[in-house]
Amino acid sequence: MNKTFKTSLAALVFSTSSVLAMAAAQAKEITIWCWDPNFNVAIMKEAGAIYSKTHPDIKINVVDFAKADVEAKLQTTLASGVTDSLPDIVLIEDYGAQKYIQSFPGAFASMNDVVDYSKFAPYKVKLATVDGKTYSMPFDSGVTGLYYRKDYLEQAGFKPEDMQNLTWDKYIEIGKKVAEKTGKKMMGLDPNDAGLIRIMMQSAGGWYFNDKGELNITGNEALKAALKTEGQLLSSGITKPASGWSNWVSTFTSGDVATVITGVWITGTIKATKDQENKWGVAPIPKLDVKGATDASNLGGSSWYVLASSPEKKEAVDFLNSVYGKDVDFYQKILVNQGAVGSLMEARKGAAYETADAFFGGEKIWQKFADWLSKVPSVNYGVFTNEVDAAVASQLPAIGKGGDIDAALKAIEAQAKSSMQ
Amino acid sequence: MASANRGLNRYFDINGWLFVAPAALLIAIFMVYPILQSLWMSFQTGRGMMTQFGGLANIRRLFDDPMFMLALYNTMIFFIVQVPVMLTLALFLASLLDNPNLKFRGLIRTAIFLPCVSSLVGYSVLFKSMFVQDGLINSTLVGLGISDHPIPWMTDPFWARVLIIIAITWRWTGYNMIFFLAALQNIDKSIYEASRIDGVPAWGRFFHLTVPMLKPVILFTVVTSTIGTLQLFDEVRNIMTSDAGAATGPSNSALTLSVYIYNLTFKFMPNMGYAATVSYVIVVAVALLAVIQFYALREKD
Repeated sequence: MNKTFKTSLAALVFSTSSVLAMAAAQAKEITIWCWDPNFNVAIMKEAGAIYSKTHPDIKINVVDFAKADVEAKLQTTLASGVTDSLPDIVLIEDYGAQKYIQSFPGAFASMNDVVDYSKFAPYKVKLATVDGKTYSMPFDSGVTGLYYRKDYLEQAGFKPEDMQNLTWDKYIEIGKKVAEKTGKKMMGLDPNDAGLIRIMMQSAGGWYFNDKGELNITGNEALKAALKTEGQLLSSGITKPASGWSNWVSTFTSGDVATVITGVWITGTIKATKDQENKWGVAPIPKLDVKGATDASNLGGSSWYVLASSPEKKEAVDFLNSVYGKDVDFYQKILVNQGAVGSLMEARKGAAYETADAFFGGEKIWQKFADWLSKVPSVNYGVFTNEVDAAVASQLPAIGKGGDIDAALKAIEAQAKSSMQ
Repeated sequence: MASANRGLNRYFDINGWLFVAPAALLIAIFMVYPILQSLWMSFQTGRGMMTQFGGLANIRRLFDDPMFMLALYNTMIFFIVQVPVMLTLALFLASLLDNPNLKFRGLIRTAIFLPCVSSLVGYSVLFKSMFVQDGLINSTLVGLGISDHPIPWMTDPFWARVLIIIAITWRWTGYNMIFFLAALQNIDKSIYEASRIDGVPAWGRFFHLTVPMLKPVILFTVVTSTIGTLQLFDEVRNIMTSDAGAATGPSNSALTLSVYIYNLTFKFMPNMGYAATVSYVIVVAVALLAVIQFYALREKD
C-alpha cells in the first residue's frame, strides 16, 4: 500500500516536472486574439512572419474568434482575476478602449517607454491614454467611404461624377431612381444597429459625449440630424433590411444593393467577391445638413494591447513596436492586400498609397481614403459608447416609422443616464 | 422516549455524517458559497474590478432603469403568452397521441419530441437563417400566396416577439407533451369506461376527467416552464443579437432579463454588482410565481 503510494507520488512528480519542462521549452510563444480572418488575423500572421525572420526563437500564435467572443472572453477572464488563460496580445475596438483600461486598472501594459507615440495619428493615441500613460499599439483606422456599384448606377443614369459631393437628400433621390430602373435597393441597413448613426454623427463632429466625456444627447445637433436622416432612409423604401453582420455583408456580396457606406476595412470583403471586379467605385460619404458637416467619418478601427500579466510581456511589446511601430513596408503590404489604413503617419507616404487598384477599375482609392482620413473630425468616444448605442438602437425602428425625433432623443438620454453608472 | 433517544443518537452518529460529508462539502463549495457570494456582490457598485459597498443603491437603480423595465416587460410577455400556448398545445397533442387507434403513434410521438434533443444554439442559428427577410419562411409564405409581402420577423418589434415564441414553442412542446403522455397512461381506463356508459361526451371527459387527473403534472410543467421562460437566453441571444448591432431585436423588443444580465457583464461597462441584483430579480420572480401557481393548482379537498 505504502509502496504503491510512493510510486504513484514519484510518477506524479515526474509528470509534473515534464509538463513544466515543456512549458519552459515553449516559453517564447506569443499568443494573440483577434477576430477577422480576412483582415486583422491575416495582418497579424503577416506581422508574425516578418518578426520571426529576425527572431527565430519566438513563435507567434494568432487565435481567431468572433469579435463578440474575444470581448466576452477577455472581460470574463479579467473580471475573474485568473490570468492564466489570457493571451499575450489582444485586439480591442477603439470604442471600448477606455472601458477596458479604466475598469481593469493594471491589466494592460503601458508602452510609453518603448513606443514613440508621436509617430501615430494623435486621435488613436489619445483614445488609449489614461493619466498620461498609453496602453495601445495603434492599429487600423475606420475612415469611411461610399462604395457604389458603377454598373447599377449607370443603368439608372448616373455617372461617377454624380456620386461626388452628395447630401443625404440627393443620396435618397438617387436611391429611388436606382430602385425604379434596376429593382435594386440602395443600401443594406440593419435597423437594430446604430453603426450608420455613429458614422453620420461623427462626420459632423458630434458624438454621444462632449469633450469632457459628459453625455450629450438632447442638445446634440449632429445626433439629431443623423437620427432624422436614418428615419428618412428607413421610410423611403430604398434600404434592404438586414439582421446581423453576416446578413448585412451578404446584401452587397450577393449584388442586391447598389452602395455600401462603412469603414475602409470592408474593402477586403468587397474585393473577395471576384465576379464584381471593375464594378465598384469609391466616393466620399454624403454630408449631413448641419453646421460643421464634413464628408469624412470613422467607423470602428482597433488597436493592439499587451496584457500586463503576460510572461512574454517584453517580447510582445518589442514585437509590436518593431513591426507596427516602425516597418513602413509592412504597412504598404497590408494596405494593398487587406485594405488596412494604418495609423503610423510616415506609412502614408509609402508607394502603395499611390497605386491604382485594378479591382476598382484603376482608381487610386487609397489616396482618397488617406485624404479623407486627415479630415475625420476628432471626437471623444468616452467610456459608455456601447450603452448609449443600445439606447439609440432601441429607438431606431420607431424613428423609421416616422416617430418624433425629439421624443426619441429624450428617451435615449433617459436610458443612457441610467446605464452610465 | 426510547425512540426519541434513537433519533438523537442517529443525529450524532459520526459515520452517518462521514457518508454525507463529501456531498455536503461539494454542495457547500459549488452551490451555497456562490449563491451567498452573488448576494454579497449584488450590494456592490462600481466599474469592473473597482467595486465598493453600495448598500441598496443597486435596488434603487432597478426602479429608474428603463432598460431593466423593458427587459422585465419582455420577459413577462414571453411568459404570459408562451407558457399557456405551449402547455395547451402539449396537452392537446398528448391526448391525441393517447388514442390507441391512431396510426404511426410512435413515429409521430418521436417527431414531436425530437426538437427537444437539438442543441439550443444550433436550432436558434437555423431559425435565424430560416426567418431572415429573404429566408425560407418568407419565400414560402410569399410563394404560396399566404402573405403578399415578406414578414419583417427580424426587423419589427411585434414579429420579433412572435418569432421567439414560435421558436421556444417548437423546441419545448414535445418535452412537456412527454410528461402529459406518461401521466395519461397512469389514469385508470375504467374511469373513462364508466363515464362513457353514463353518456359523458368526449369534451366533457377531457375537461372533467383528464385535466383534473393530470393536475399534479400540469403544476409541474407550469412551474418548470415558468422557470425556463424567465431564464430565456440562448434563443434570444442567438436569433436576435447581431455581433455588430447593439439592440436585442428591433427596439430591444426581445431583450430578456437574462440577456440584460449578459449585457451588463460582458457587453457594457462590466458591472457585476448590478448584474447580480438583476439576477436576484429572476430568483424572486420565479419564487413568487411558483408560490402563486402552487396555490392556484392546490388540491382542494
